[in-house]
Amino acid sequence: MEGAAASSEGLRYAEYARVPTGAGKGQAELDRGLARTMIAVGLGVATVAFAGRYAFHLWKPLEQAITETAKRISTSSLSSYYKGGFEQKMSRREASLILGVRCSGGCCEVTRSPLFSRLNKPCFPQPLLKGPSADKAKIRTAHRRIMILNHPDKGGSPYLATKINEAKDLLESSAKN
Amino acid sequence: MAKYLAQIILVGAQVVGRAFMRALRQEFAASRAAADARGRSERPQSAAASRIIGISLQEAQQILNVSNLNPEEIQKNYDHLFKVNDKSVGGSFYLQSKVVRAKERLDEELRIQAKDEKEKSQKAET
Repeated sequence: MEGAAASSEGLRYAEYARVPTGAGKGQAELDRGLARTMIAVGLGVATVAFAGRYAFHLWKPLEQAITETAKRISTSSLSSYYKGGFEQKMSRREASLILGVRCSGGCCEVTRSPLFSRLNKPCFPQPLLKGPSADKAKIRTAHRRIMILNHPDKGGSPYLATKINEAKDLLESSAKN
Repeated sequence: MAKYLAQIILVGAQVVGRAFMRALRQEFAASRAAADARGRSERPQSAAASRIIGISLQEAQQILNVSNLNPEEIQKNYDHLFKVNDKSVGGSFYLQSKVVRAKERLDEELRIQAKDEKEKSQKAET
């Protein structure tokens, strides 16, 4: 009886004793895990900082090159200017862009906007002038306008004047056919 | 029936493939010819700049009508040509774009020259 009571008390004591130690052991484990993660995070931050400082000292010229190319890319994509130089052999498309006029079958039209030139309304042939002569008249007017603006005697560039004349010749020869 | 269909598809694919390859080859040849015409007598940095900006040093000089790389002359000619080809006065936007690209190329060339000079002076010091 006493032994049973004592054993039951002992069991109960053991139960009581186990619960705190169980909780204590979990708590210790939690603490250890937390500490481990904190140490790992701290070490990680430290390595990143050291690596960044090292990289900055070492790659400063490279960073400059990167920023320059990024700036160049951003400016070139924002502006809507045509890219590159003149074509090796002038095409009809380039000639019409130079003179700012598009001709097709007796109907020439002065292009309004470079971005939305495709959305320009289709032009209708004028009743008085029809066919190649209408084309030629429009081409000639456009050529004269652009040439007056870019005249070499008034500070223009002779190379551009050559290109303008070449464009006019190309469009006129193709408008003849 | 299925055999004929397969044959037709095969022949079609061959034709398309051959045409595509021919177009690709022509494109390569054209771009290489253009690059050769552009950068025949340029240093490697200048050739790289020509390829990036898409216009050769010689053509840029011709467009802006400058024979030597004088910054004031370049700026003066550029201002005049840019103003004259503005769309608002009836100029050609295409020509204005070429003027802008020529100025970019000449600016790049001046930058390359300045860097070369600095490197040369640094090398002479050491």
